[in-house]
Parts: sequence; C-alpha cells; structure tokens
Amino acid sequence: MNHMITMPEPIALQSREALLKDWYLQLFPKVAAYIQRQGGDLEDAKEVFQESLIAYYEKQTLEKFQPRQSDEAYLFGIAKKKWLTHQARRQRLEEIGAHEIQEDPQEKPVAATLLAVLKQTSERCLNLLQAFYYENQSMQTLAQRFGYTSIRSATVQKYKCLEKVRDQVKQYAMTYEDFLS
Amino acid sequence: MRTSLAELERLEHWLLQQGEPDSRLVTEAKVLINADLLAKAQCQQRSYELIRHYGRSQLRKEILAVEQELFQSSRHRSFQKRILSIFNYRP
Repeated sequence: MNHMITMPEPIALQSREALLKDWYLQLFPKVAAYIQRQGGDLEDAKEVFQESLIAYYEKQTLEKFQPRQSDEAYLFGIAKKKWLTHQARRQRLEEIGAHEIQEDPQEKPVAATLLAVLKQTSERCLNLLQAFYYENQSMQTLAQRFGYTSIRSATVQKYKCLEKVRDQVKQYAMTYEDFLS
Repeated sequence: MRTSLAELERLEHWLLQQGEPDSRLVTEAKVLINADLLAKAQCQQRSYELIRHYGRSQLRKEILAVEQELFQSSRHRSFQKRILSIFNYRP
C-alpha cells in the first residue's frame, strides 16, 4: 500500500499535530517492523522515528524540499539512515563504555541557559520568531496567529523581538568567550 | 521602522541571502569595514541558531505528546496492539 500524505507548504500550526499523528499511524508500524528485523526494540523504533520526523519536517520547511516520491517512501528512507546512525553511535558508546545515547546535538549549556532566560522573559517573542524562522510561516499567517492588525505591525514586532534576542546574545558573548563560535 | 530595526533587516537579508543582491553587497561592504556592525551580524547569526534550536525543541515536545497519546489512549488500542505484536510484547 502506498500512502500519499500531502503536506501543504508551509505547515499551519493547527495542522502540524494532525500531520504528525497521520505519519505515526501510517508509517510508524512499517518503521517499527524494519527496526525489529534489524534487532532493535520498541524504544529504538520510537527514538529513530522521532529523529526522522524532525529531519523530514525541517527538510520541507527550511529547505522547501518537495519529495519526488511519496512522503512515506522518503520518510522511510530517512528512518533507515537514522537507524544506521543510531546503531553506529550505540556501538561506539559501548566500545568506550558510555551508556547515554544523544540523538540530537545539544546546544552548549550556556546557550541552553540563555534560551531558558528568554523563555521566561520573552516567550511570546520566541514563539513568534520560531514560527517565522523555523516553521517558515508567512507574515500574513503570523499576523493572524499572534493577533497583529497588519503584516506591517507583525513585521516590526518580529524585528523588535529579534533585536531583543540579539541583545541578550551580545551580553552572553561578552561574558562567555566561546559563545559565538 | 526605526533605524536600528532597519539595520537589523538589512543584516538579515545579507545573512540569510534574501532581498536584492545589490543591497546585500552594500551591507557586506559595510560589515567588512565596521567592526561594530560585524559584531552585530555575528550575534544575529547566533540568534537565528538559537531560535531554530528552540523551534526544534517545541516540535520534539509535540511529537512526544502525539506518541504518548497513540501509545496510551484507549482510542488507539488497535494501533497499540499492532505495534506490540511486532515486538512480541504481551500486555
């Protein structure tokens, strides 16, 4: 069976949850069966699928990628690749005696602290900025979603928010030498 | 838009390769001869990375919420049985 799951570009927030659910229901069993055959367990399958969803979402929103094949075929291909990486990383960690598997490169602790501060003081700003720079939403959609009367005022607000984040980054860069590297 | 925001916008166009190429070249030339502007551009670039990191963490939360619902809600029993049977788990 070849499911064609079409994804509008960019993905509206209210549809993102529905889309993720669709992908899980339709594609996770296939990925799980593959990983089981390769010797993995349910937790492996969940981790690999999460990473695959993130990779595929970013490819579509940030790189404006349009798959030539169905979403299912492409996502399954990503999952196979992620599984190989997952296995290789686990093997390496077993060789050096480590137990924790980090699936995603984490931000440096200082950056994580800064994000926590920004979340506390400017969560609305962060949400607005990530909707534009990560979800790739248009300014028109953002204006509606965040309650601005016009695209112009949403645009001005977006830059004010970016300035706020940049000011904080500057402060951290003055305190922590390698923050910008 | 006030001057500092207009400058932020010009740096954005240069950093993200958007807008008119001629205008981006002018910005690039200014950045090359102005250390203060270069520092601002570096901080702005780091800001985009942080925002994307935040966006990814929000997406991960949504994915985990969906996963939790599918594996715990009684509405999705058949899905749960199907997955558990793949791994030969007996509830």
